[in-house]
Amino acid sequence: MTVIFGFLKKYRVAAISAIAMLLIELAVELIQPLLIARIIDDGIREGNVAVAWLWGGVLTGSALLAFLGGIGSSFFAAHVSQGVGYDLRDKLYEKVQSFSYEVFNRFAASSLITRLTGDITVLQDMIFMSLRFATRVPLLVLGSVVMALLVHAKLGLLLTVMVPILLWFVLWMIKKAAALFRTVQQRTDRMNGLIQENLTGMRLIRVFVRMGHEIGRFQRRNRELREDSVTALRLTETTMPFLLFVMNAGIIAVLWFGRLEIQSGGATVGEVVAVINYSLRTIGALSALSWIMNSFSRASASEGRIREVLTTDDPEAELGVITGNPVYLEDRNDADGPNVGLTEVHGEIEFSGVSFHYPGRDEAVLEQVSFTVKPGQRVAIMGATGSGKSSLIQLVPRLYEPTEGTIRIDGRDIREIDRTELRHAIGYVPQEVMLFTGTIRENIAWGLEGADDGQIETAARRAQIHEMVTRLPLGYKTRLGQRGVNLSGGQKQRLSIARALVRQPSILILDDSTSALDVRTEAALLEEVSHLSCTTLLVTQKISAVASADLILLLDDGRLIASGKHEELLESSALYRRIYESQYGKEGEVQHVQDLH
Amino acid sequence: MFKTFIEPFRHPYPKLDVAKGNAERDAQAERAMAQEKQRRGGHGGSRGMPGPKIRAKNWSGTLGRIWQYLSVHRARLGAVLLMVVFSSALALLGPYMVGMAVDHYLEGGGGSWGLFLLGLLAVYAGSSLTTWLQNIWMIEIAQETVYRMRSELFAQLHKLPIPFYGKRQQGDIMSRLTNDMDNVSSTLNSSAIQIFSSVLTLLGTLGVMLYLSPLLTLLTFLVVPLMLAGMRWITKRTGPLYRKRQQDLGSLNGYIEETLSGQRIIKAFSQEQRVLRNFRERNEAILSSGFWAQTISGFIPKLMNGLNNLSFAMVAGIGAILAIRGHGAVTIGVIIVFVEYARQFTRPLNDLANQWNTLLSAIAGAERVFEVLDEQVEASDEAEAVELDSVHGAVAFSGIAFSYGEDDKGNTLEDISFAAKPGELIALVGPTGAGKTTLIQLLSRFYEPSRGTITIDGRDTRTIRRESLRSHMAFVLQDSFLFQGTVRENIRYGRLDATDAEVEEAAKLANAHSFIVRLPGGYDKVLDVGGGGISQGQRQLLGIARAILANPSILVLDEATSSIDTVTEIKIQEGLHRLMQGRTSFVIAHRLNTIRMADKIIVLKEGRLIEQGPHEELLSQRGFYHSLYHGGLMEE
Repeated sequence: MTVIFGFLKKYRVAAISAIAMLLIELAVELIQPLLIARIIDDGIREGNVAVAWLWGGVLTGSALLAFLGGIGSSFFAAHVSQGVGYDLRDKLYEKVQSFSYEVFNRFAASSLITRLTGDITVLQDMIFMSLRFATRVPLLVLGSVVMALLVHAKLGLLLTVMVPILLWFVLWMIKKAAALFRTVQQRTDRMNGLIQENLTGMRLIRVFVRMGHEIGRFQRRNRELREDSVTALRLTETTMPFLLFVMNAGIIAVLWFGRLEIQSGGATVGEVVAVINYSLRTIGALSALSWIMNSFSRASASEGRIREVLTTDDPEAELGVITGNPVYLEDRNDADGPNVGLTEVHGEIEFSGVSFHYPGRDEAVLEQVSFTVKPGQRVAIMGATGSGKSSLIQLVPRLYEPTEGTIRIDGRDIREIDRTELRHAIGYVPQEVMLFTGTIRENIAWGLEGADDGQIETAARRAQIHEMVTRLPLGYKTRLGQRGVNLSGGQKQRLSIARALVRQPSILILDDSTSALDVRTEAALLEEVSHLSCTTLLVTQKISAVASADLILLLDDGRLIASGKHEELLESSALYRRIYESQYGKEGEVQHVQDLH
Repeated sequence: MFKTFIEPFRHPYPKLDVAKGNAERDAQAERAMAQEKQRRGGHGGSRGMPGPKIRAKNWSGTLGRIWQYLSVHRARLGAVLLMVVFSSALALLGPYMVGMAVDHYLEGGGGSWGLFLLGLLAVYAGSSLTTWLQNIWMIEIAQETVYRMRSELFAQLHKLPIPFYGKRQQGDIMSRLTNDMDNVSSTLNSSAIQIFSSVLTLLGTLGVMLYLSPLLTLLTFLVVPLMLAGMRWITKRTGPLYRKRQQDLGSLNGYIEETLSGQRIIKAFSQEQRVLRNFRERNEAILSSGFWAQTISGFIPKLMNGLNNLSFAMVAGIGAILAIRGHGAVTIGVIIVFVEYARQFTRPLNDLANQWNTLLSAIAGAERVFEVLDEQVEASDEAEAVELDSVHGAVAFSGIAFSYGEDDKGNTLEDISFAAKPGELIALVGPTGAGKTTLIQLLSRFYEPSRGTITIDGRDTRTIRRESLRSHMAFVLQDSFLFQGTVRENIRYGRLDATDAEVEEAAKLANAHSFIVRLPGGYDKVLDVGGGGISQGQRQLLGIARAILANPSILVLDEATSSIDTVTEIKIQEGLHRLMQGRTSFVIAHRLNTIRMADKIIVLKEGRLIEQGPHEELLSQRGFYHSLYHGGLMEE
């Protein structure tokens, strides 16, 4: 819980105030049985109405005081919990954004999302609860025991002996129940996983007629879940009746000894009633204990997950300034272009002896890759799945760092170029299309903040999407995603290409981003791109897109096995020839490809 | 110091014009909520936070159906109710006897003190025992009921026609099976009993109190209007506040979800500062709505406590005065009983309010479950249908028309007629949206044509049981779906009784063997849900191996090779050819060599079959296929 305390510091005044209010409430509650005892012994038994008025008034007044304290504590506790939640989210998100891509990928995105959403909410609720209820329970138990002892030492002793035993029993039960519920949770997760899987693969299950098989699998998991749920619930439901019985037996003991004491003159009726009252309060508090312990263990798991992120060391952290007031990009650049203020990048790229393997894995993804691209040239990268094409181009915007060798842009080692600066010169279109919620315009403008309509339209035109957009009723203001239109795969690809083009990049990276386009559109797009003065790295499967490239790189198992122009490769590489033939057939039809030039 | 002290009181109260929310945020919020719903489920949902109330549409009908499930356990249920009655009565008797003890026994006198205490012990023991029994029995009833409902619902999912899944979001169906079932489960586990026992306890308490002292009873109940008024004041505010908070939280979570999934883009475009800025805006919104929602809902327990204390004070003070004045039956014992009852009085009321909401949402949940169970199943028209023992593979479409729904203008498919002889390779060609996939869906009878007939070996497919029909086909679908399990299990899905050797043979034919053995663990490597851990191309290879193993008469490849790179494709071509030998194959293909090999090419455009025939013949027609084939090549 160390991280939490660090964050709580800022709110210590409010936290202490909340606890102070809590103590007021507690004091009022603890004093009640004592006052009742006074009313019984000094009032009713002495026949003194004034005493009854007095203590009744004090009781009413204190009830009001406790109420006010409670209302106040709500403000303070909410302030602390919401404040800490805000700070935590802010710090955590900033930390995540500061991660280099490599470190980011050490965590699964989904797990980071849970930490930022669910886990923080759990912690927030826990803080709120601690400041209002959780601290109350142990204090109430302790206070009741102490008060009972003060009222009547001998009778109070009964409570003093019983409470630790019951406490031990409850804690033991909680531990057992927690383990059981963990199993139940696992079973639930497994079952839900199966449902999810079945829903996703529904068509496949139907066409392979595997319904019976799947239902059988589900039945097994469902049965396991039922059996474990019954076991777990049975245990927790046994705890309370047992606890109550033991506590009630204690009350019988208090009555028994109380009568003996009263007869020997060692106690008054009021005192016995007070001790019984304190015992009853203790029962109430103990029964809340299991819930509180549960919340605490959940919160501590959440805290651990959050701490893991916050304490992750990232030597390559990418946000220059990690402070409350980050320097925004616009402050650094003028609005009229992404490259203003940065060294202009011409787009010469040189790989020399580059090897790479993903962190934490042994197999090399790239081995000793070397090539040079001149500014404005187009490089096509081909190869089988898993041959290292995507990995190779990821190294250019420094999403990952090569394990060996150097990459130079305009002759400068990219490790010496500021990441932000480098990336501002690059337009990157990833293999899997990722668009954001918002309008088409907003999505294109992602590439260049503050892009005007002209720039956006130009980019869209070049990406061959402008016409399609203007056909939409809302044009560029059309919303994407959940409530907006659903674009086809090819349209999404073109949109993400437009997003890259609007940057007017010096280096354009297309990672198999034209796969869903038909040949015609693809050709038109590549034609547009070739008029731009940018170096293009193009991962593709299609010979049609490759043939006009200035350089073709053929990768196989991470090694560069052939490079050169189309004609050269047709001569020199058997593999390239086979790829070519598979798409264009042999002899005769070569003619069509030649037409391309 | 003072400034920091009053800080909590200076949070701006959020504007609550929820209706006019920003559309983008709404969308994000909605999605995030749906996801959050999915993520939760299981035990330990957040407490004390009123969720959105969902009301059932048909109360009595739903309750009646729940009863149908429960009535199987009628006898045990009766026993549970009996126990609830006993335990409620005994729970009331306990404090009453303590009061009696104070009045009649504590200071000596009365009858046999030992016997009395033994009686009290019996009451306490009985109270614990009956509570325990009712809980244990109810848990078993509840879990068995939920188990049955869940099983039926799951089996139903596999009977529903595929268009059902087209109409509904997966998250929605998922939520019925998880959240709604959980609601039903927890309600049956405890809420149902608690509501019953709360009512009994309330009535019992009231009865005993009235019997002991009507005047003190009136005093105790003075706080009830106060409580109602207070609760009204609070819930009137917390409702909108929680909605606003939920919306803000949804928007924030949606933003987190989106930006972290798209982290690669953010990094590559250096947009970290921008997303941080947008994130802060959303984070701040939630600070204010979250603060007020939490603060005001935090009043509830304090109000309860305060009113408890107040009635405690009144009963003690005024009760004492009455006792001193010798007013009627008020004694010390009566005061003690009242104090204890009054302290407990608000608890069942509170429980009742809480459980009532749970009960309502459980009924709504059950209704949503029943809705799915009531959907018409796919096989409902199959009473007359037959099983097919063997299939030669002659397929004919004649005059087929089809559209996905009423809202679709025009037909998705119109007047499609063609025939495939056994063993032929049919290539389906055409631009995106031409209806190629739809054609395949009709063949597998996921959807039914609105006009025309499809025959297999001359028999109308509508007279064949769907399961039988499909068992003679194998599909490699666009989304090559893999299950969580080993590579071997995933291939074996094609034929469950296949031996390991047969599985490996199929993998070899599909050219998947070489990459499988290179995986850590080889055939026993466990794949994640959705087939994570291997590339998309490799997933497709496994899908092909699965189809090979199934050994069907009719084979359907839906863009099966689209995400396999050329090099890999070369590797599987041979295997695919072998697979197609002797089977009627339908291939939605973009690759020329597949198309060229086809015995017949079906050219589709905007739902119409515009050309059909072998490659050379179509080329010589110089029609749409010709221009498709030369596509981009002819442009310059």
